[in-house]
Amino acid sequence: MTPFALWLDRISGVTTTTAVWGLFLAGAVIYLVAEWRLRVLALFGQYFFIGVLFTRVFVDRPEMSLLKVLVGWLICGALFLSARIRQSASEHPRFHWAADLPFRALSLVMMTVVAYLASQRYTLPLVPQDLALGCIMLVVLALLFIGTEEDSGVVGVGVLNLLAALDVFYSAQDPGLVVTGLLIMVNLLVGLAISYLTVVEVEA
Amino acid sequence: MNLAGPVVVLAAPLAVAGVLQILRRWTLLSVWLSALTAIAMGVMLTLLPLEGAWSFRGVTIELGRSLVVMGRVLTIEATDIFVLRYIFFTAGALFLLAWRLLPHSNFFPVGLAAAALFSGAFMVEQVVYAALLVVMGALLMVFPLHESGGAARGGLRYLVYTTLALPGLMVTQLLLDLFTIFPNDQGLLATATVLLGVSFAILFGAVPFQSWLSAVATDGAPPVVTYLFTVNAGTVWFLLLAYFRSYPWLSEQAALGSLFTGLGLLMMVTGGVLAAAQQRLGRLVGYATLVDNGAMLLALGTGRIEGLALTALLLLARPFSLGLMTLGLQGLRRLTGGVDAHEALEGAGLRMPWSAMAFLVGGVALAGFPLSLGFTARWGLYRVLALTSLSNALLALASTAAVMLGVVSSMRVLLVQTSSQRLTTEAAAPSDVREDRVVVVLIVALLLVTLALGFFPNVASGFATEMAHWYTFFK
Repeated sequence: MTPFALWLDRISGVTTTTAVWGLFLAGAVIYLVAEWRLRVLALFGQYFFIGVLFTRVFVDRPEMSLLKVLVGWLICGALFLSARIRQSASEHPRFHWAADLPFRALSLVMMTVVAYLASQRYTLPLVPQDLALGCIMLVVLALLFIGTEEDSGVVGVGVLNLLAALDVFYSAQDPGLVVTGLLIMVNLLVGLAISYLTVVEVEA
Repeated sequence: MNLAGPVVVLAAPLAVAGVLQILRRWTLLSVWLSALTAIAMGVMLTLLPLEGAWSFRGVTIELGRSLVVMGRVLTIEATDIFVLRYIFFTAGALFLLAWRLLPHSNFFPVGLAAAALFSGAFMVEQVVYAALLVVMGALLMVFPLHESGGAARGGLRYLVYTTLALPGLMVTQLLLDLFTIFPNDQGLLATATVLLGVSFAILFGAVPFQSWLSAVATDGAPPVVTYLFTVNAGTVWFLLLAYFRSYPWLSEQAALGSLFTGLGLLMMVTGGVLAAAQQRLGRLVGYATLVDNGAMLLALGTGRIEGLALTALLLLARPFSLGLMTLGLQGLRRLTGGVDAHEALEGAGLRMPWSAMAFLVGGVALAGFPLSLGFTARWGLYRVLALTSLSNALLALASTAAVMLGVVSSMRVLLVQTSSQRLTTEAAAPSDVREDRVVVVLIVALLLVTLALGFFPNVASGFATEMAHWYTFFK
């Protein structure tokens, strides 16, 4: 077995439920911690777990899952660069929680419960229940980031999470190459636009 | 060499956009190359026959021939011609307007690439690809939006709302495809209708999703904002019509007409009230556009072919009114260092008379008052509405009057100045800020065209009626 195939085999060994909770943990770090390096690292991890979800969708074409992960990591790189540009020279890296931590923690818990109950109650067409939980979890995180954050980086991560949920759901119905390719383009454009806006925000 | 129409329409603007990205340093070259490419596309789509071929020095273009890309068919149909012409001619005109307003800007290559993507959306057969291409084009426009300064809030909101609309558009196609297999499952149709309604409401900036309109108009560079409100908005309108054409049973949904009417009225009333109360010129543009979008939705809600023609006429009128407002707003902002609040602009019309006039005449035209093409369209709308509901017609008229109130209030601010304010303004404003002669020429040209279309609206209404007849889902 080639190292590439071995790596893919290991990824698909991670269960979907584990990946879903991995997504949640990564999302929680992005939402609750205000240190940008940790946020980018969490997003990096989140894309790994999204890749695991994709291995369930592209069962016969694991390279597609790998492509999705690589695109996600590329976006992480762009966001990392913009966050570095945004960081002022005098700012020293230090860990700190987000300012309104109790509110954030409570919203996160409530939204996670809503996501879990929604996945139990409603079935998404042609999507297995554990994968549906992943999609709903990503949508819930996206709404949380978009609805309660003002920082363009975090709002952007929300938009990317929403696209990832759509990508998993839509690929389960129509795993065609053209849609996959166009969704990758949309993801890259969103990633670049967010990076650009993050830098513009500072200049303004 | 034999080329299919879609290849030329897609590849030529994209290739020129690539070159322009390199040549961005030379503004004059960027402006003329982008404008000429866009206008050439429009002229080609106007003059070349859809059936048959056109040859020039060994290159043959067959406009009606299909192009197959990875199994997906791209074709230019007779219905698409009007849309493609609208996209390219409007984009070309806006590139010329932006000449002196956005030096060394990304707007020219990005705008051209976005126009190509929007055109691709109408040539591809399945609406899911159309939705993806439209969203990609819209995302591209975020890049030049904040080039001339301003907070990034507008671009961020636009990006978020555009992406929020995408899942609904894509899932709607899945549900409608399922409905063709299971025609008795009315639940699929109901869900698809709701999803489609919400997605388009987001893209139109309908209430309660209107915040992106005002944010973009406040923070963005005026020429790019005009591009978003004309080319992008027009594309979204025609995308909605493309959905109706692809899935005719969708337009037969009884609830859809009432939904459009209700939503349109809500947008007009909300936009009118907010426009009347505005203290910033950029926001006035945003809310006046909200009212205009509401009027278009209201016209579509009539479910009649006249309504569809009025929608097209309103869309045709918008580039002229918004173009004037853009030129005016940019000039006035230059005077105050980017600020467009009333208190900073008191008496600014006396120092920048052409810019002030452009903004005010554009505002009057966008509000749908005489003498403008917008007035013809709005008057037609009130008459069609009055046939079924006089109260709806009066409400729409009142909303238009509210926008006019906002324009009049801005006029008072721009033209009147107290002596104490004069002293403050003279101290604060840089003395070398004068009106650019090229911009003045553009303003005069646009004023003349706006007035001419106001006096002779038959030219534009003929195009609108012709377009409406291509869509057969309304009787």
